[in-house]
Amino acid sequence: MAAMMQSAMPTSEPGYSFSQAPQSVAGGPRQHGFYPYTDNGGTTLGITGSDFAVLAGDTRSTSGYNINSRYAPKLFKIGGTGSANEGARIVLSVVGFAADGNALKERLDTVVKMYKFQHNKEMSVHACAQRLSHILYNKRFFPYYVHAILGGLDENGVGALYSYDPVGSYERETCRSAGAASSLITPFLDNQVNLKNQYDPTSGSGLEKVTKAPQPLSRQTVEELVTDSFTSAAERQIEVGDGLQMFIITKDGIEEKYMELKKD
Amino acid sequence: MPGFDFSNHNRNLALHAKGVPLPKATSTGTTIVGALYDGGVVIAADTRATSGPIVADKNCEKLHYIAPQIWCAGAGTAADTEFTTALMSSNLELHSLSTGRKPRVVTVMTMLKQHLFRYQGHIGAYLVVAGCDPTGAHLFTVHAHGSTDKLPYVTMGSGSLAAMSVFETQWKPNLTRDEAVKLCANAIEAGIFNDLGSGSNVDVCVITKDNTQLMRNYLTPNTREKKMRDYKFQRGTTAVLNEKIITKEDITKYVTVQDMGDGEPGVGEKMEVDA
Amino acid sequence: MDALVAQHSRSQHAAEGYSEDEMQQQMSADLAQPLSLQFALPPTASPSQWLRAMTDDHSNPQCPIKIAHGTTTLAFRHKGGIVVATDSRATAGDWIASQTVKKVIEINSCLLGTMAGGAADCQYWLAYLGMQCRLHELRHKRRISVAAASKILANLVYSYKGMGLSMGTMCAGVTPSEGPALYYIDSDGTRLAGNLFCVGSGQTFAYGVLDAEYHYDMEDAEALELGKRSILAATHRDAFSGGYINLYHVKEDGWVKHGFMDTNPIFWETKLKKGEFSNVTSKMDE
Repeated sequence: MAAMMQSAMPTSEPGYSFSQAPQSVAGGPRQHGFYPYTDNGGTTLGITGSDFAVLAGDTRSTSGYNINSRYAPKLFKIGGTGSANEGARIVLSVVGFAADGNALKERLDTVVKMYKFQHNKEMSVHACAQRLSHILYNKRFFPYYVHAILGGLDENGVGALYSYDPVGSYERETCRSAGAASSLITPFLDNQVNLKNQYDPTSGSGLEKVTKAPQPLSRQTVEELVTDSFTSAAERQIEVGDGLQMFIITKDGIEEKYMELKKD
Repeated sequence: MPGFDFSNHNRNLALHAKGVPLPKATSTGTTIVGALYDGGVVIAADTRATSGPIVADKNCEKLHYIAPQIWCAGAGTAADTEFTTALMSSNLELHSLSTGRKPRVVTVMTMLKQHLFRYQGHIGAYLVVAGCDPTGAHLFTVHAHGSTDKLPYVTMGSGSLAAMSVFETQWKPNLTRDEAVKLCANAIEAGIFNDLGSGSNVDVCVITKDNTQLMRNYLTPNTREKKMRDYKFQRGTTAVLNEKIITKEDITKYVTVQDMGDGEPGVGEKMEVDA
Repeated sequence: MDALVAQHSRSQHAAEGYSEDEMQQQMSADLAQPLSLQFALPPTASPSQWLRAMTDDHSNPQCPIKIAHGTTTLAFRHKGGIVVATDSRATAGDWIASQTVKKVIEINSCLLGTMAGGAADCQYWLAYLGMQCRLHELRHKRRISVAAASKILANLVYSYKGMGLSMGTMCAGVTPSEGPALYYIDSDGTRLAGNLFCVGSGQTFAYGVLDAEYHYDMEDAEALELGKRSILAATHRDAFSGGYINLYHVKEDGWVKHGFMDTNPIFWETKLKKGEFSNVTSKMDE
């Protein structure tokens, strides 16, 4: 035990000193000078229903302990006409490195607009989702530092949501949260949307107990769940706050809602 | 066994030289300030405690007691500020008992800097020391490496720049008590809103030559909103593999049970909910 | 002739820069990148080393970009065809990114691929393989053999060797020339034909059950049950596997899907009705 405790203060000799430290060691992990990413914090969330899709994101942009902006949207309309994307029916949300997110949105938006010019029809969400995957995978060896979620309505008018990892693996889901507070929001959504760990109270006991089957949620329920998710996330995640932007995609177009979140 | 264990020091240095990043020191995000005024001194702090990007405590106390007329605002590693101020408080009490005099702020400041310098910054305590003693009102800052400052208005912590910007635009000599309290609270609010490491409420402590007033939660600009939905589960929602009921009679064999009265059957005390 | 005259009668400066056609071409080349297989590379001396520092959470748990990884997959041949089974969990570092991943990729009506390693790598390259298989059909007027299909994939990943691709995949299919055929391909460039493979972090647990019970002459129902039970064992012991069991059967006239089943009720049924998993306590006094 005594050997474990040295009463003397540590010195740089005979141990390693920072100035003498070898700059690189072959085979070992190496410090890289090229670091082109910044985490701009924030969180996004998407939930679908039988005839709508809701995408939401907080509007705070951070770097380190600083706030870059209290209103920097993470939600983008894709397609439509002009720079305001009028008449668009697809929404992309990106969280992670805002510059990469912006580049990604510009690319996808151009692709969707070009598609309409070339084929004289709107791109389906399904096609757009696959294209986004390919755009992300094109930078497989120099990835976009983003978690993307794409929302819209499918060919049958049912809410469609696609979520992506940074290099383009994607999946259609009913609900997904990404970003700084995803670890806080996801378990809540698992329980409230997919009804995980909830059983029918009227069913028997033990093995006879039946799990509650997830039902498509109403638009109001979804909006309330989204709001509660974000007010809770803003309480406990320092990178989430300032404002909540919500896009509700229905057959009539995209409706935008905004509400304030805590600013501390 | 007292003292610190440095047995991993050389190993960590070697690992770092090989390119392994050293664990990040938990520099607890904080805004703390202090200002002298005519007749006393004011210190203030925010109430957010974080671990990484997560808020660990929304209403913690960062104003520490040293002596009745000497208080300390702490930033940096939470445990270090807590234990260092407690140690100083004890030693100062003994010192005051042996000398038979009221403790002085310079004494605390000197004890702190000597203690912190001995540990070469390994004790991550960044403190604002303030108080009134027979020689007047005093305000100091003490850094983890042992350096100190004596200034009419001070800020520390990750929100120090935001808070200082308020002082540098609004501070003037010969403030009144109310002006000083308001100025300090404003400075903390600047930290709360502009620094991610700081948040929640404002605590203020005013020390004059014959009285100390601690104003816990002087401002609460970030109250929790009501949720839109109700999240009560119906009884029987959770799956149960087995159940075993232990009655009050069973348990009295091992512990003393005291009836709290007026409770619904089978329901104990109401859980205390953070307001 | 008019066009030829016009081409040579333009002033000198008009030929500078890009023509409209060239710009159009560049634009479409820009947008058509996914098919031209030109990948963006970071501007460093060693792109693969940089990529590893940024994305490989095995060698660097603090890496900023966590790529979703797939986990337990198995496939085996028996007299009635090939059973293919997988779990459905995707993890990014120690975070469960998804519990509903489809790790069996339907390349076409007779060919299946499985996903282990980088989810995006498998998804992208198996879709690419599907495209190549279809082109083969159109060019040669017959379906591609599993051997050829797997070799397209193996050659492809081999050409990217050392760049940081991560995939362990199985190709299962039935063709008139080969019968039921099963191949294992990974991003090192390995390509093996065999009767039985398990791939992913939960492979050892799946092998444990599969090797003990496997024999070629199993009936369909028995084989499907074994596939399911092997994945269940892996989801039970491997933290990186879980979610749902995805079960497929490849037969002479194509593959048949046998469900996407939640592991939790299957586990309790296996334990309480069949008396297996006695390591798990379900009674208070045990």
